[in-house]
Amino acid sequence: MQTARRKRFSGARAKENFHSWLIMLPGLALMTFFVWEPLIESIRMSLYKTRNVELVRFIGLDNFISVINKDDFTQALTNTFSYTFWSLLIGFVLPILLALLIGETVRGKSFFRTAVYLPNMLPGLAVIILWSAFFSGEKSGVLNILLGHLNIPPQSYLTRYELVIPIIIVIATWKGAGATALIYMAGMAGVNPELYEAAAIDGAGVTRRIWHILLPAIRKLAGTLLILQIISVFQIMYEPMVLTKGGPDNASLSLMQLMWQYAFGGSMNYGKASAVAVIVTLILLIMTAIYSYFNRRESDWD
Amino acid sequence: MTSIRRTGVIREYDMHASSVRFGYGLIIFLCILTVIIAVFPLIWVILAGFKDLKEFVSSPAILPRSLDPEPFMTTWNQLGIARNYLNSLISVAGSVVCALIFNGLLGYGIGILKPRGYRIVKRLIMVSMLMPTTISIVPLFMNIQNLNLGNSFVPLWLSYGANAMYVILFIQFFESLPSSIIEASRIDGCNQLQIFFRIVLPLSKPICAVIAIFAVNAAWSDFLLPYLVLRGGELQTVMVRLFVFSTEQTVNADTMMRAVVFSMIPPIILFFIFQKQLTENTVSVGIKG
Repeated sequence: MQTARRKRFSGARAKENFHSWLIMLPGLALMTFFVWEPLIESIRMSLYKTRNVELVRFIGLDNFISVINKDDFTQALTNTFSYTFWSLLIGFVLPILLALLIGETVRGKSFFRTAVYLPNMLPGLAVIILWSAFFSGEKSGVLNILLGHLNIPPQSYLTRYELVIPIIIVIATWKGAGATALIYMAGMAGVNPELYEAAAIDGAGVTRRIWHILLPAIRKLAGTLLILQIISVFQIMYEPMVLTKGGPDNASLSLMQLMWQYAFGGSMNYGKASAVAVIVTLILLIMTAIYSYFNRRESDWD
Repeated sequence: MTSIRRTGVIREYDMHASSVRFGYGLIIFLCILTVIIAVFPLIWVILAGFKDLKEFVSSPAILPRSLDPEPFMTTWNQLGIARNYLNSLISVAGSVVCALIFNGLLGYGIGILKPRGYRIVKRLIMVSMLMPTTISIVPLFMNIQNLNLGNSFVPLWLSYGANAMYVILFIQFFESLPSSIIEASRIDGCNQLQIFFRIVLPLSKPICAVIAIFAVNAAWSDFLLPYLVLRGGELQTVMVRLFVFSTEQTVNADTMMRAVVFSMIPPIILFFIFQKQLTENTVSVGIKG
């Protein structure tokens, strides 16, 4: 009796499981077609000599070797790390500061929040083209017009080797910082105001309250956003593609842009393009692993 | 003094100190400065659109000579953007529907139904969120070509049904729903699909709204995969056209700025309608992720 019931029960359970998987099937099929299979396929393709969409023959690591031995790869790799460095320098602390400032305002808070979020809604491509007019080296470039009011002669910006990556990062930060600031604001709103009151009674000034209460409260969030920022900057591609075409002299060429060039830049070398993609994936995986390692250690201490 | 309570680090009594009052003034100044920096480029590009080519390259003034909308009309007709707007509209509509249905059902399976082995799928989706889709754009494009789906909206629509971030947002929302409601309807004899459409979906309006807004904006702004799939054909969207202009440099600088303005109008409208959801709701959702 008992076993019969259990059997019937487990039969119903199996049916329920089956139906549940059936409900998830369309979504899983799409994930497979658009995300998982292409990821595995790019690993396979990186090991083959390709002609257009055909895999001609297995060549082991030859694609990797030939990609890595080209000068533009070293340049793109260095540039990509340079993008990451500048992005952390310019774009990491700024949203925290913005959140801190806007969080302290009383009147107009929702206006400030709305206004700083606006650039994030604009299409990334349109933003890049719009800013190209700002940094144009012509007399009509907006920055040159503004500097002209201070009697500074027109400069050229995007053709300067040392300026081009910081400029692209400034544009990306202009677009994204406000949205990130709102995430920090939500994190900061989680601090109980009584803590500030208590600290004030103990004689802690505003600066010390920020340093000892507010910032520790968002430390974990900042860690998560840091790694997400690194991962997203590492894939920077269309920004230099549209703004500078990777120039001047490959000074802004990124790894993902190199991948795009191999695949769609005329040569249609999908094998080599996949080799670059696999290298980027590996670097991203290593970074994620390092992050989760430190994250786990930190949770152990808590 | 004020009816609104201070919620930040600075408390009401701090304002008695003149140094804090000065600091607060500085904060307001910096906030206003930030707003100007955030909004100025947008206002500039709209104003620049009123200039013709000669004025655009030669005049150092930010303000155009006249506010006659003529140049916008000319560009609109000359580039035939109406057609691209229609294409974008169709592309966005299908993408939103796919984003809600497919990611929603997958999220429902993982967040509520939890069949045997669902954890593997959940883990896979978590990892996929960190892996960018552009990284595998080459094999994806080959797959689409092999299935003869080039020059069609279908692959673009369906690509929005496979978004790891949307799935995770759905899962987090569904897991926060009280399980008693779902248990009760299960005892009442509803099957899983009935539970989804009668119980879960009506409760999920907030998350559906958030994901719909995200998907509208993402699908409108998207141009890499759309470019590969639609290039050269009749179905090009506004963003694909803009990308082609920017790479081939076939249009003048002033026309380009007007095309940029056209591409920004729908997101700006969306922003003004949904600013409350965008600046409050999404953040509270995003924070958990």
